[in-house]
Amino acid sequence: MRNLPRFMLAKIAFRSFFLQSSWNYRGMMNMGFLYAISPALDRLHAPGPAREAAYLRHLEYFNTNPYFASIVMGVTLALEERLSRGEITEDIIHDTKEGLMTACAAIGDGLFWDSWRPFVAAAALAFAFGNYLLTPLIFLALYNLPHLYFRFFGIFWGYREGTHIIRSLRQFQFPQIRQSLRYGTLVLLAYLVPNHVNLHTPFLLTNLPIEYFYFGEKVVQGIGALVLVSLGTVAYRARIDVLLISFLLMVCALVLYHWGILI
Amino acid sequence: MPEHLTASLLIALIGGVVDLDSTATWQFMISQPIVAAPLTGLFLGNMFGEAAAGLKLGLMVGTILQLIWIEQLPLGMNVPPDAALASVLSVALGFIAGHGYESYSEREVCYTIALLLAVALGLLGRSLDMFVRRLNTGIDAWVSQKVENNQLWAIAFGHTLGGMFTFTKAFIFCFLVVWLGVEPLRYFTSTLSFKHASGFIVVQGLLPAVGFSVLASMCIKDRREMRLFIGAIIVFTLLPAKIWLGIGAALLVIYRYGWRSAAK
Repeated sequence: MRNLPRFMLAKIAFRSFFLQSSWNYRGMMNMGFLYAISPALDRLHAPGPAREAAYLRHLEYFNTNPYFASIVMGVTLALEERLSRGEITEDIIHDTKEGLMTACAAIGDGLFWDSWRPFVAAAALAFAFGNYLLTPLIFLALYNLPHLYFRFFGIFWGYREGTHIIRSLRQFQFPQIRQSLRYGTLVLLAYLVPNHVNLHTPFLLTNLPIEYFYFGEKVVQGIGALVLVSLGTVAYRARIDVLLISFLLMVCALVLYHWGILI
Repeated sequence: MPEHLTASLLIALIGGVVDLDSTATWQFMISQPIVAAPLTGLFLGNMFGEAAAGLKLGLMVGTILQLIWIEQLPLGMNVPPDAALASVLSVALGFIAGHGYESYSEREVCYTIALLLAVALGLLGRSLDMFVRRLNTGIDAWVSQKVENNQLWAIAFGHTLGGMFTFTKAFIFCFLVVWLGVEPLRYFTSTLSFKHASGFIVVQGLLPAVGFSVLASMCIKDRREMRLFIGAIIVFTLLPAKIWLGIGAALLVIYRYGWRSAAK
């Protein structure tokens, strides 16, 4: 028997957009989590010690992927409901929430931060370099499709499935999705590198017949960009900070420009 | 002067809203440079009657900053440089300071210097973000105390206060930087000789390479992928678009087919 109406779950999904408003070093997203689910807690527990205990229970440390937090909220509310009927103890809620937030953090961070965002960014960059003015809208529309799906359906799903949610999450085959996105990003990157690193040298103008100039320019730009990106990759993997790499590149470019090697 | 004040207030408002999106609320990714910078350019350009120019500047700045900070994420305790504020400020400073210049090269130099300055401001933004998080830690302790005394209203109050701190921080920071930063930037750009100035345009063209390196580091996991990546770059360099699109589609089909048979 489910007590929470759909409207309330939708309200909680909406409140989950503000999950990290009060992010702090002690409880991380704890206040945001409690703020989001508090209407449901008020409905499930009568005023008094039970409600106060529920609030205190959810003021403890909470940290997960913000887009997957709705799933944790749904499962937690399903368990809170069972607690209010006296079917389970508080410990079960604590342990389930802790285990689920770690799992959702791992899945969500890997999917959204590590794979989806770079892929969408690379796709948007391909448009941006072409000066396509609707690029920001393309980026937002593409990025937010899975985001909003997990935000809104996650809570209904978590509430319905309860602790069986982990089994259901497996059906998405996240590792395969992530690998496909990674390959997609690499292909986009391979297109972007030779076409959008602007590297021009005056030697071609003086030494190459004009009919070969365009092709020569393209080849030099491609090779130059590949060398630059390879050096940058080596430096980044050697844990040199991105800003330092940018600064070094800037100095080298200014020196090469001063010597007349780059124009 | 009133126009400058209005522009500073507009940028402060955009900065506040965009910064809320970066961690505190929504996370629709309006705060990503590829969105935040064109958005700022559009509003600012509209104000100065040059909407298309503002949008184009925003796209250029957004592209470069998106690439430079593509791997920076607010995961757990990690507080990345504030790419959202850097994007907003880079476009604002570059556009307002470059607005007075007649020549293309002077404007481009102004944009590039504003971009480099904004990267440093992004680092300062990170420190401010950490400060707000420390303030929130104090609020958390206060809220816990109130809830223990059965004053449950404190949770909504404390949580809203956290969001307001984030907005206020970004608003004041953006306002002060734009209000005080435009004139020094204009002065600095005008002191550069043409020879130095054109060098900055070369730098602007090369900066995407840094972001591509970061993205390549994130995506390439082994030597085989590295070889495929280099091969793909050679194809994209030498062949026209129609041919490489055909090759790409064929490779994708072969890869899918091969992968499925291997799995069986």
